[in-house]
Amino acid sequence: MDVARICSSIEAAHLRKSYGVRVAVDDLTFSVNAGEVVGLLGPNGAGKTTTLSMLATLIEPDAGEVRIAGLDSRAAPDDLRRKLGFVPQSIALYPPLSAFQNLEVFAEIHGLTRRLAEARCIETLEAVGLRDRANDPVWTLSGGMKRRLNLACGMVHRPEALLLDERTVGVDPQSRERIFTTIRALADSGVAVLYSTHYMEEVERMCDRALLIDGGKLVAEGTVAQLIELGGRHPRMEITFAKPPLPGWYDGLPGVKEIAPASVETKVALELTNPRQVSELLERAHNAGGQRVEFAVHSPNLSDAFIALTGHALRVVTTET
Amino acid sequence: MLRAAWIVFRNEFRLLARDRAALFMLALAPLVIITVAGLSLGNIYGVQPGSEPYSIVVVDYDHGWLAHALVDALRRDHSVSVVPVANLIEARAIVAGRPRAPLSILIPAGTTGAFEADRNVQLTLYIDPVKRLEAGAIELNLDRLCREVTARAHDLARKRIAKQSSHLRDQLAQASNQMKGAAAQLSQIRRQFEGARAAVRSEMSAQISQAIEQIRIATAAQIDRPLAQTMTALESELAARHDALIAVSRYLSQLQARQRDFQTWLAQLKSAAGSHASQIPPPPQWPAQPSQAVLAELSKPLDFPAPRVDVASSIALPHIAISLPSMPQLLDFGAMPDPGALVWPTASALPGTIGWDEHSITGGDASVNTFDQYVPGFGITFLLVDMLWGVGVGLIDERDWGTLARLRVSGAPASGMMLGKLMSRFLIGLAQMILLFGAGWVLFGISLGHNSWALVFPAAAISFAAAAFSLVIACVANTRDAVLPIGAMAALAMSAIGGCWWPLDFEPYWMRAVALAMPTTWTMGAFNNLMIRGLDPSSAAWSTGVTFAIGAVFLALGILSSSRIYDHAI
Repeated sequence: MDVARICSSIEAAHLRKSYGVRVAVDDLTFSVNAGEVVGLLGPNGAGKTTTLSMLATLIEPDAGEVRIAGLDSRAAPDDLRRKLGFVPQSIALYPPLSAFQNLEVFAEIHGLTRRLAEARCIETLEAVGLRDRANDPVWTLSGGMKRRLNLACGMVHRPEALLLDERTVGVDPQSRERIFTTIRALADSGVAVLYSTHYMEEVERMCDRALLIDGGKLVAEGTVAQLIELGGRHPRMEITFAKPPLPGWYDGLPGVKEIAPASVETKVALELTNPRQVSELLERAHNAGGQRVEFAVHSPNLSDAFIALTGHALRVVTTET
Repeated sequence: MLRAAWIVFRNEFRLLARDRAALFMLALAPLVIITVAGLSLGNIYGVQPGSEPYSIVVVDYDHGWLAHALVDALRRDHSVSVVPVANLIEARAIVAGRPRAPLSILIPAGTTGAFEADRNVQLTLYIDPVKRLEAGAIELNLDRLCREVTARAHDLARKRIAKQSSHLRDQLAQASNQMKGAAAQLSQIRRQFEGARAAVRSEMSAQISQAIEQIRIATAAQIDRPLAQTMTALESELAARHDALIAVSRYLSQLQARQRDFQTWLAQLKSAAGSHASQIPPPPQWPAQPSQAVLAELSKPLDFPAPRVDVASSIALPHIAISLPSMPQLLDFGAMPDPGALVWPTASALPGTIGWDEHSITGGDASVNTFDQYVPGFGITFLLVDMLWGVGVGLIDERDWGTLARLRVSGAPASGMMLGKLMSRFLIGLAQMILLFGAGWVLFGISLGHNSWALVFPAAAISFAAAAFSLVIACVANTRDAVLPIGAMAALAMSAIGGCWWPLDFEPYWMRAVALAMPTTWTMGAFNNLMIRGLDPSSAAWSTGVTFAIGAVFLALGILSSSRIYDHAI
């Protein structure tokens, strides 16, 4: 059993949580080893936040076990929490307080002495590149800086396991890079990081492994390469039209099929069997009256793998749990 | 738990220190509102409403001393400024158009005359209904001035009457003395008259008696002489007749003897006639013969005494009583009243005036500083609102920011976090009340009572109750958008009903009954006892205890419903 692995810092075994008749998490089992960054990837409503909340002891699972650094969430919840870092999806900071004061609060609440907390705060601010903004109120910081500080607050007490319900999309490149670097550095220092997101780019960029969940269930897990492999290795072509071509414009081309229904009528995503089919498709589209705006050809990625494994895209808009 | 409480406690102060709006609401906003309310609504308590006096427009159609006295009295009152105008039209224009001119006083013509003639005097006030409240305060002042002027006029009249009475008393005393002299003289004259009258009556009686005696003697002499002559003649006549009667008497005696002899003869005749006696006719009836006594009477000598006329004794002379008419009654002055003993009209001629003098029932100062009501009242209101902001909105914000979840993940117990937050806000609230009392004392001269330290207890009680109340509101409302309207409505209603904005007695009975369930009511009661009534600290003990008890109920409700905040901090 995975939970029994000695080196695992985050362990979830047969977690289940339901809200009424709706099952948010169903028999979810996984582990994150020390020094490992694992992505928890799934569309909105897949159960990511519920899973993190159970791991963070914010909600009680209906069934299953949670262990952090070997501590059972039911047997030693307070000790477990001291080993845990949590970075919520929203920016969970005190806007009126300075960056330093925010860090100090969360350092001390995790049991650090005042002196040690001050030292850690300075170190952590340095790590996330906010040393020079230490005394500025949070509300004066940019969005990227707040994201970095948000991360810093979860790691200031040097947890053994870090839960990130964080996303970096939309963050300025400098902050994004700093966040990735920081997370990687944390993992390299032996921290087990579970990173929840529905952006496959972030997982591909940062995670050693990924857990694909959908409908509260674990669909697949493995390295990014392994997951892509599970989804097939066919290239994907996306074409955006100003005026769409007539229906059936790509019929007859061997192996070409549309990937998931397009969210907009003027955009089409097609799975190819061969990169050479690109020019043929462009010509057919033109002949069928389509006015092309742009097109792109991608190698297979996690998104493709997810679609292949679940039948729908990662960014389906549903209710987040 | 205590560590978590301490960290949250300290964090609350940090958050407050960084929150300028909250600091403004804590310190400056209450002072601003208290200042505005105190200066604007001071006249509710009958105190001077501010440095700028109200204008009172005066239309004087009387021009008498009473009108001048009223206007002078108004001018001496620094809370008002007198604006004299010629007529009512001007007065109306000023009252309707000028700020701080709530009313006009019209003094009708003849007011002074009517007042002096002891008739009722009626002034006419023209008020602007929009400024009714200010007018009410001025009417109160005007009423006082009228009473003062009336009392002064009464006082002057009393003095004038007293002076006149004194003069009259002297005159009466003088007249009384003169009358006493006259009465004595009259009495002496009366006695002289009485003596003279008695003498006259005696003399007259003597003279009349003498005259009557002389008349009686003369009369008697005149009667006795003829009477004697008559007697003599009569005696002579009677002697002759006496002899004749004797002869008749004798004849009659003889005749009686012959009658008896005839009877005897007749008897013998009849006896001789025998059987023929019956045929003898009866002799003629003899007249009844006078008795011997009568015959003796005829022969008796006449004894006819001559009448004696004793004039002196038979004629009773009337007693002559000289009755002089009595003397006309002289003026009887009786007992002359003593002018000094008379009840002079000074005391009763003028009715007294009814006045009043205020004293505090508790022995302190009866006058009220408006701010004694508004500093604690609005202090409590802002305490509730700020507590709502600090605890209610603060909790919701922390939940929505995600920091509450973060704190929970840290292992901090919800009880510790709640304790830290409530304790810090309790102390902030207490400090706010102390600050407001201090500012009220320095800026507005409010009374802190005889034991200012005792104010800390009700302040602590309401701070505790307000913190617990805000926790309840946060848990019930559950969202930031709901906390403020629900909480503000509840806080303002508690303040209003609890007597924070106006005296509790202004409210109807049912509202006062509702107020008993509110901590604001009890706290205001405690503050009033300590500050306005100046009572000792024990007077606030019960109210403070009840406030704490209500706060404890709020806290229990808050704890029971706190899961709505802490268990959903995800």
